[in-house]
Amino acid sequence: MGVAVIVGTAKGAAILKSKDRKTWDMSFALRGWPVTASARDDTGRTYIAVNSPNFGVALFASDDDLTTWKQLDAAPRYRPEDRGNPEHHRLVAKMDFEGKLKGGGRFVDQIWTLHPAHGALYAGVSEAGLFVSRDRGESWQPIDGFNEQPGRESWAPGFGGLGLHTILTDAKNPNRMWVGVSAAGFFRTDDGGRTWSRKDDNVHSFGGNCVHHVAHDPENASVLFRQEHFGVYRSDDGGDTWRVMEDGLPVAEMSDGHRCSFGFPMIHDRKADASFVVPLDGDNFRFPRGGQLAVYRSTDGSSWHPLTNGLPGNCFAGVLRGSMAGDQQGGIYFGTTAGAIYASADLGESWTEIASDLPRIMSVEAYVT
Amino acid sequence: MTVRVQLPPLLRNMMGGERWLEADGNSVAAVLSDLGRKHPPLALHFFDEQGAVRHNIVCIHDGTLVRAHEAGVHQLHAGDELILTNALAGG
Repeated sequence: MGVAVIVGTAKGAAILKSKDRKTWDMSFALRGWPVTASARDDTGRTYIAVNSPNFGVALFASDDDLTTWKQLDAAPRYRPEDRGNPEHHRLVAKMDFEGKLKGGGRFVDQIWTLHPAHGALYAGVSEAGLFVSRDRGESWQPIDGFNEQPGRESWAPGFGGLGLHTILTDAKNPNRMWVGVSAAGFFRTDDGGRTWSRKDDNVHSFGGNCVHHVAHDPENASVLFRQEHFGVYRSDDGGDTWRVMEDGLPVAEMSDGHRCSFGFPMIHDRKADASFVVPLDGDNFRFPRGGQLAVYRSTDGSSWHPLTNGLPGNCFAGVLRGSMAGDQQGGIYFGTTAGAIYASADLGESWTEIASDLPRIMSVEAYVT
Repeated sequence: MTVRVQLPPLLRNMMGGERWLEADGNSVAAVLSDLGRKHPPLALHFFDEQGAVRHNIVCIHDGTLVRAHEAGVHQLHAGDELILTNALAGG
């Protein structure tokens, strides 16, 4: 079984291919571009999202097994009249050398996630917004039901800005969708995107719900697993209610005194019905406790078990929310902010470093080829 | 009126490795706009949502640095060469 792993780094895309998930060949594409997300749709087209503080956001596509990349003519963009969120502007203003943001406009400064579903391709961006393409990325439309909802001007951005980084869809119900925004919360629509409601009940917050990542099985879509800034949660009713799910996870004292399990990625393997997280030692430190890099897996939906075989014991790097992925055939892959990629072919029982010395890793996706 | 524009390395890959392109216009903004019409992906990189030249884009014209906010008024002449780059930061 062949596998391709697209590793988005701060300076390009490392593309790793293997026929047996033991030996890997690596190439490096889109040199110089920060690669923030990737996805492959049902037609076999693969997309890579890039951003540059100088030259903006763009999408590239490959139709030949990740060999050549062509920039698409379009990308998600706000309308000239759209107004921006003042707090997001304050966070990204360090690159605004000429005070352009003072004009109040809303800009797409990063594509955080790409999500193919129901024949469409969705993009989650910052400043937080949701866009859809129904022609394989050739044109993009804003989903105004989300982007223009009342109250967005008062959303609080997370440390990385006001980003829509998580998109989930229901394989059995195209009208139901969820999105996560740091730090505005987790939202659900049941009418195809026209109206949205917050789904953060019972989730600990401090100045806004900073959802980090949410995962599920699209075929069993209402069972959700959520890595929040303040802990790990599970919902069995599509997000209407949440309960803490931290049995077996390391907990740490957080900046507000709350004790919980902190981390960024949350992924789910459909075939094994297993979830994976990478706990870090709280929001004060943001690296693995004691330097032991560890993935935790839950196979019963209630408790977690550490998986460290093959992972370093002297790691003081982080793992970002988009930097972990599964190939849905037992393969799990993740990358660190220090540029190392680890792979497991047995649902995390053992790990191998398959690349190192890459730039900061911002996104990881994996596909069976 | 035609001028020659040198692309920065980051943008050359999407133009098949071309270093120089030709474009028409009598100002920096007009030249960038013409390039965007001829090569739509470049328009995304040159102009933001409000139609302004991206504020970190810088051009070098005849030894003079032209910032984004000057792009609409800085005059060019036939046969000029424009080096397109971006605001530099280092250390």
